[in-house]
Amino acid sequence: MAASAATRAGTGPGPEDPEIGAGSGSESEADSESGSEAEPKGGAGRAVRSVRSVRAGVVAALLGVALLAALTAAVSLGSVDIPVGEVWSVVGRRLTGGAAEPGSRDLIVWQLRAPRALLAAVVGAGLGLVGAAVQALVRNPLADPYLLGISSGASLGAVAAVVLGTGAGSAIGFGASGAAFAGALAAFALVWTMARRGGGFSPLRLVLAGVGIGQFLSGFTSYLVLQAGDEQQTRGVLFWLMGSLSGAQWSQLAIPAGAVALGLLVLQARARALNALLMGDETAAGLGVDVVRLRRELFVVTSLLTGVLVAVSGAIGFVGLLVPHACRLVVGGDHRRLLPVSALAGAVLLVMVDTVARTALDTQEVPIGVVTALIGAPALLYLLDRRLER
Amino acid sequence: MMRIAVDDVSVTLSGRSILSGVHLVAGEGEIAGLIGPNGSGKSTLLRTVYRHLKPTSGRVLLADRDVRELAPAEAARHLAALPQERGSDFEFTVREVVAMGRSPYQRAFAGESTQDRAAVADALAQVGLAGHERRSFAALSGGERQRVLLARAFAQQPDVLVLDEPTNHLDVQHQVELLALLRAQRRTTLISLHDLNAAASLCDRLHVLHRGEVVASGGPRDVLTPELLAEVFGVRAAVVDHPLTGDPLIAFDHRSPVGTAPLP
Repeated sequence: MAASAATRAGTGPGPEDPEIGAGSGSESEADSESGSEAEPKGGAGRAVRSVRSVRAGVVAALLGVALLAALTAAVSLGSVDIPVGEVWSVVGRRLTGGAAEPGSRDLIVWQLRAPRALLAAVVGAGLGLVGAAVQALVRNPLADPYLLGISSGASLGAVAAVVLGTGAGSAIGFGASGAAFAGALAAFALVWTMARRGGGFSPLRLVLAGVGIGQFLSGFTSYLVLQAGDEQQTRGVLFWLMGSLSGAQWSQLAIPAGAVALGLLVLQARARALNALLMGDETAAGLGVDVVRLRRELFVVTSLLTGVLVAVSGAIGFVGLLVPHACRLVVGGDHRRLLPVSALAGAVLLVMVDTVARTALDTQEVPIGVVTALIGAPALLYLLDRRLER
Repeated sequence: MMRIAVDDVSVTLSGRSILSGVHLVAGEGEIAGLIGPNGSGKSTLLRTVYRHLKPTSGRVLLADRDVRELAPAEAARHLAALPQERGSDFEFTVREVVAMGRSPYQRAFAGESTQDRAAVADALAQVGLAGHERRSFAALSGGERQRVLLARAFAQQPDVLVLDEPTNHLDVQHQVELLALLRAQRRTTLISLHDLNAAASLCDRLHVLHRGEVVASGGPRDVLTPELLAEVFGVRAAVVDHPLTGDPLIAFDHRSPVGTAPLP
């Protein structure tokens, strides 16, 4: 971004800068994201607004196209590569209610890969969304959906189901998902009880309660992993802990998709309050936000959504941390833009990452959490570096 | 324009009494200053005014209506606060921060109205930051940040401004600029200030807080006496006329402490 140099130049003058209004004005004019025209002072507000909105609109449109492309690639690529044209003809036939063409390709496209690609999109969207909301909730750009302990409860539930035998067969069958969601709710109840004391849900209390309870529950999970009977069970447990979308089925899509859509709606309605919250509790109160109530609502929404996501895919790391962070650099901190863009970007990212996870090795699938960590950690370091440089 | 009155407010936090039976008022268009040593309860009092804290007893009246009985957004349309918080490290532009002042007027999902845009542009112009909309708020100097936050409060188009030590951490020039801005506004203002000379020059009326109680109220010249300065602030000082402005000027004796006031 050419802006960073200009921003530095613009902020160089410290408190002793004699006249901010005149001297550095031309510099900051030049630091516009689009490098656009100098504006007449009076019309500045309008021009700025349209630049930011147009930019966010363009980003959203590009992400929409990228999502379609990523979904197509995800369904097309795999142990058997299916040409893009055939992918769409199968999808078209299925969507228009045409009879399924007998043959393995229809099965691969419609029964195996399409639900998985869509689940990746839904989970990615959810993680991006929850990440942005949790970062506002605890007012920390390094927070992620798993900070508040919910995922630890979900993992414990799922692992218990696998190891203690209620989830017979597949590790990521419905039994384990149900147990995971139950675990998420239990963790939520514990953190809620701890965090609400002393007048309520301050960021520090939430984080301490979440981290403490998360660690406590992880202790149980580790113990259970050691108790895993055979190699099959151990692999199932590990896949759960690192996250996986391999259990995707059409029947499992509706609940997470509905939850993510509802979550986006609820959060988007509070976008301005989220902005105010980032400026501080007192500032938010002065702007007419009921801070304690807002935090309570945010905690409930993000926890339920996290519980649903982890129940269908395990705890996939880094997406919820990285995506809002990157999006903030592109469209800015205003949640009216950040929330939907984070959801879209999360969807694109996870579809792509899951495709890599499926196809990188010939012999076996790489757990998706391994791929997100390998890509996510360097990306995060790069972003941090750029951010701190400015 | 509205009047704001604090009526017999007491606040107890964690079993400790911070304020007891505070009465004070800022009349329409009047700048009322709140002064007092550290820990005297200034910030706590202001927090109850802008509704961050609930008084244990008593009321805050905005044109005779209890602020706690107003809907939060309605209260925020009448009363804007500048707390001591100095914003965040998240990626907001100057304009986005100022536009937050419009949120009490906006419905969920609605965009900005022409009025909103005009109010934001006005507020930026008033603090001399028109043309700086796109700069990153996090990258601003302390003085610029404070002006942006003040513009945010102006964008609320409030009847009453409440400011908690707005000149803290500003150098002298920016302090003078900020006070001149407030003076030019002529809005009903309740402001806490550390700098007694600044308070004497800016305020129409001063309220002195000491250990959670108002111990003196009135015009700066009546309130700022050597006796009060010794008793409340624990300093020896002479009060003279300012050679340039004629305002009361407090000349502290930095050599001989009166004795630190014992902790409550």
